[in-house]
Amino acid sequence: MKRVTTSVALISTLLATMLLAACSNNKETAGESSPANTATASSSQSAEPVSNDPLGKYPEPVTVTQVLGFRPPEEADALQGVTPETNGYIKDLKEMLNIELKYKWTVPSDQFDQKFNLAIASGDLPDMMMVDYNTFVKFKEQGILADLSEAYQNYASPTLRKIIESDGGFALKAMTSDNKLLGLASSGEGGVQVLWIRKDWLDNLGLQAPTSIEELEKVADAFVKNDPDKNGKNDTYGLALNKNFAAGWGFDAKGFFQSSGSYPFAWLKGADGKLIPGEIQPETKAALARLQSWYQSGILEKEFALKDEDKESEDLVAGKVGISFGEWWYPNWPLNLNKDKDPKADWIQLELPSLNGNPGKTLISRGIGAIMVVKKDFEHPEAAIKMANFFQELQKPKYVDKNSPDFKGPKTGYNYSWYQPRYYSGFKDIFLAVNEALDANKEKLELPEDFIGSGEAQTWFDAAKKYQANPKDNTAWGMYYSRVAKDGGIAVAEKIKEDKSKFVYNEYYGPPTPTQVEKGASLNKLTNETFTKIIMGSAQISEFDKYVEDWKKLGGDDITREVNEWYDKNAVK
Amino acid sequence: MKIIMARKRSIRLELPLHLMLIPGILVTLVYAYGPMFGIVMAFQKYQPFLGFLKSKWIGLANFEYVFNLPDFNQVLYNTFLISILKIFFALVVPLILALLLNEVAKDWFKRLIQTSIFLPFFLSWAVLGGVMIEIFSLNGPINAMLSGFGLERIMFMGSNQWFVSILVGSDVWKGMGYNMIIFLAAIVGINAHLYEAAEVDGAGKWKQMIHITLPGMAPIIILMCTLSLGGILNAGFDQILILYNPIVYESGDVIDTFVYRLGLFDQQYSPAAAIGLFKSVISVVLVTLSYYLAYRLSNYRIF
Amino acid sequence: MFYKQSLSRKLFNVTNVIVLTLITLLGILPFIHLLSVSLSSNVAASAGEVSLWPVGFTLDAYHFLSKKAEFIRSFVISLERVVLGTAINMLLVFLTAYPLSKTNEQFRFRTVYVWFFALTMFFGGGLIPSYIVVKETGLMNSIWALVLPGALNVWNAVMMLNFFRGIPREMEEAATIDGASHLSVLWRIYLPISLPSIATIGLFTVVGHWNSWFDGILYMNSPEKYPLQTYLSTLVTAINVKSITIENMSALQNLSERTLRTAQIFLGALPIMVVYPFLQKYFVKGITVGSVKE
Repeated sequence: MKRVTTSVALISTLLATMLLAACSNNKETAGESSPANTATASSSQSAEPVSNDPLGKYPEPVTVTQVLGFRPPEEADALQGVTPETNGYIKDLKEMLNIELKYKWTVPSDQFDQKFNLAIASGDLPDMMMVDYNTFVKFKEQGILADLSEAYQNYASPTLRKIIESDGGFALKAMTSDNKLLGLASSGEGGVQVLWIRKDWLDNLGLQAPTSIEELEKVADAFVKNDPDKNGKNDTYGLALNKNFAAGWGFDAKGFFQSSGSYPFAWLKGADGKLIPGEIQPETKAALARLQSWYQSGILEKEFALKDEDKESEDLVAGKVGISFGEWWYPNWPLNLNKDKDPKADWIQLELPSLNGNPGKTLISRGIGAIMVVKKDFEHPEAAIKMANFFQELQKPKYVDKNSPDFKGPKTGYNYSWYQPRYYSGFKDIFLAVNEALDANKEKLELPEDFIGSGEAQTWFDAAKKYQANPKDNTAWGMYYSRVAKDGGIAVAEKIKEDKSKFVYNEYYGPPTPTQVEKGASLNKLTNETFTKIIMGSAQISEFDKYVEDWKKLGGDDITREVNEWYDKNAVK
Repeated sequence: MKIIMARKRSIRLELPLHLMLIPGILVTLVYAYGPMFGIVMAFQKYQPFLGFLKSKWIGLANFEYVFNLPDFNQVLYNTFLISILKIFFALVVPLILALLLNEVAKDWFKRLIQTSIFLPFFLSWAVLGGVMIEIFSLNGPINAMLSGFGLERIMFMGSNQWFVSILVGSDVWKGMGYNMIIFLAAIVGINAHLYEAAEVDGAGKWKQMIHITLPGMAPIIILMCTLSLGGILNAGFDQILILYNPIVYESGDVIDTFVYRLGLFDQQYSPAAAIGLFKSVISVVLVTLSYYLAYRLSNYRIF
Repeated sequence: MFYKQSLSRKLFNVTNVIVLTLITLLGILPFIHLLSVSLSSNVAASAGEVSLWPVGFTLDAYHFLSKKAEFIRSFVISLERVVLGTAINMLLVFLTAYPLSKTNEQFRFRTVYVWFFALTMFFGGGLIPSYIVVKETGLMNSIWALVLPGALNVWNAVMMLNFFRGIPREMEEAATIDGASHLSVLWRIYLPISLPSIATIGLFTVVGHWNSWFDGILYMNSPEKYPLQTYLSTLVTAINVKSITIENMSALQNLSERTLRTAQIFLGALPIMVVYPFLQKYFVKGITVGSVKE
């Protein structure tokens, strides 16, 4: 029983990453804000018959069942005692659309997969579900999904369309099979790797921010030897690393590998157009050799291989290490805590360093976010689309501004995170709008009526204001620096994504292939064991060549073939 | 005639015993035997959508798949080694503790010890993992002591020589309060007159322990031994998952962590069920064996 | 001769106390460490600075866990579960262990029954079939789903039957001659004499019911019906830092997963630590079985 629980915890971590991916921006919408159109969603569809009103009220109540994985409300001012069943959104849904939403069950999100698998096994599925891509593929193969093409054509509101199609139709194509639209999702791009570094330590030692691996090596070496925190003790090391260094969720070496042109566990397009596995390429060998030398010289901590991400984060907070590869959200956690602990601490983020003059290219994983599917025997597939429209409608500025009389938020018993389906557009527009308001020194964030993502924007704006009022509020700093600051997390990530020379795509986003399911665990064990041993010096770098042979023999070649077959057949290019 | 009478009487005498078992039997039938239809998963390519009836039957393919995975033998060996050590020390250490505790005269001290030894039982490995890594780290208290004695520092958690000992030691420490309570209950159950008689005969405490206490506890000790054999292929999933790392895969990777990693790509219901069945069969064989051994050697029926 | 023996005895006693004290410390220190973490500030805990004394003392974690109405509600459900579950478990353990503790001559089908029960200790169907059975027997979403499936703990029954066997046969025979039924023998002779083992098994049962959280997730369809441990487990995972998204940034910044998780351990273990000393008088005190003879 416990075994399953732990695997669920892992899966939910993965899911959370996917959600993050789903939230992040898509290039196509960049800068394309259109404040001109202030018409409401329903009137813009005037050419269509009235029955196709995206927010049309059903004459008779329509019951929709769902299941829900949720988190307790975290806002301090959230109305006490509100449950998913009594969520304000559900009340409004009944009033506005005459749709009665019933939950077959609700469960905290970490346990959702577990419970959902049981529901599948006992054949007890709701009318409407949010699933991941892997489950979607399985549902599709079982033929239990309703075709949403017509419902989407006739009922999707312009806002919803804009969000869904902002990726140039990537998600729609991925969801379509035999001309049937079997699910609704927005696509997203995974986190960009950046380099976080303690600016105050650089200044203490009179060093420049590193732009290449060679410079980084010098800085890291100085961070080990020259007492960067000036406390007179030899208690710092160079680069944060943990035992999941090639595939973890933070404080790992993913960014380092990518700077070296190496992409373990990802599939890049090779010279011949075929996809190639990153872990067995010569660049990976070179990167490992460098890590090995860093381990020997003390840049890496001797016991990195014993620590997981949580444990490693302690060292960042405690000020034992001042360099870490990672993503844009670090200021939110754990960097804010490090600043709490040491007010002098000052973190900056840099683009990936170059190697031998070649710029570091971050890996971007394209993927499909949470997918809404409808069971085939459900009579009102259009209700699902209308419910998606409904959510966008309730995200209009007047509903998300705390000072507005129409405010629908935690304080008044509305919890948006419990409502599904929700789709989000990218951060870019929000970033621009919030910064515009801040630059103009506005006291209040004023957004056009049809602004997409005004809820987010409001949160960011509030955090920025809070930070400006009290620069010592490190929580507000975390929010501000990761999202709003012009040299902060999202800003740098967006800049990288605009420059094609600075990233590569992970071309495989399909479900695990049959050989992966069968042999993947053994292959990963082989990879992790070999890589760790090489870095720690208990295996020679020459072991790598043998590893490549073994990897291919033990199923790697089959996986490569299957991945390429999938790519030829299914990939949206 | 006489035999029939006797049988009738014994049926009448035994009937209440049968009746007393009914509630237990009902619950067991429904909630323990009921779900056992799930064992068929081990012989199917089970897919939740299709259920148990429609999933494809594939005979022993799941077993072949699992047994043929690279390193399965190593993993099986690790599992046996770790769990045999754990079983042995998890019996011996609490037994000695119970005997020692029994010699303590002061009641409050006895209670204090009993409570504090039981405390680690409440801590989960998820929480203990971080603490343990700290204690055994290169800069931790243990290594500080070693270097204080002029010995070289050891990377305990990253050493295949030490990892198993640490697993066994910490597991015994965490669980010793539990078994100790059972042994104490057994000691308490021994007839006090036996000790009085022994003292009259001039037997010292040591002799009393050898000749009265230990034989009096024998049934419980044999029972615990036998029952622990049932867990011979459970080397401690939670603990190992939180403590192990790629360097100690060689000595620390066990069946349960292995199956866990199999499931990371996609839920592998059937191979997991096959492993589960394999573990059950081994357990039953071992337990049955020790059941009959105990009966043969000491004429004692464990259950 | 006498003097010498007493010296070695004294020596033994001193060593014994020292050894046991060391072991006690070994048990208490990690607990003190975790208690300190739960009482420390988020920053100190996140920096791994707390050892055996709170750094930046605060009751925030406990305050957070206890101020909610859900806390009281799930606490009550847990109490219900422990009382109902322990009562049923113990009753079934007695009823099952008693017949099985008879000899094969006294109860001829004993062996069959014993193996019938014992097999369930080793074979299980797994999660999905168990879920389906609970669902089909209509227990979903009721407290019975937490109590009935594990109503007979075979392990405990086997332990109990072994303790029962230690009871001298003469006592039972005396009662049977007086015409006592099996039930009254169990009730009037077996149970009073088995108090230490009942306390042992009772403690394990209470701890088991109190600590289990996963069945709450499985069988309850909404969090309003969660027992305390299930509820606490959801709170801690709910603010998992790994999944920081824009959606869940806010007031919880000052609490860390670490302090909350450790606070949870204490709230979880506390009731047991309160109950334990009361049970202990049964563990410590011997029972003079022979006295019946006099």
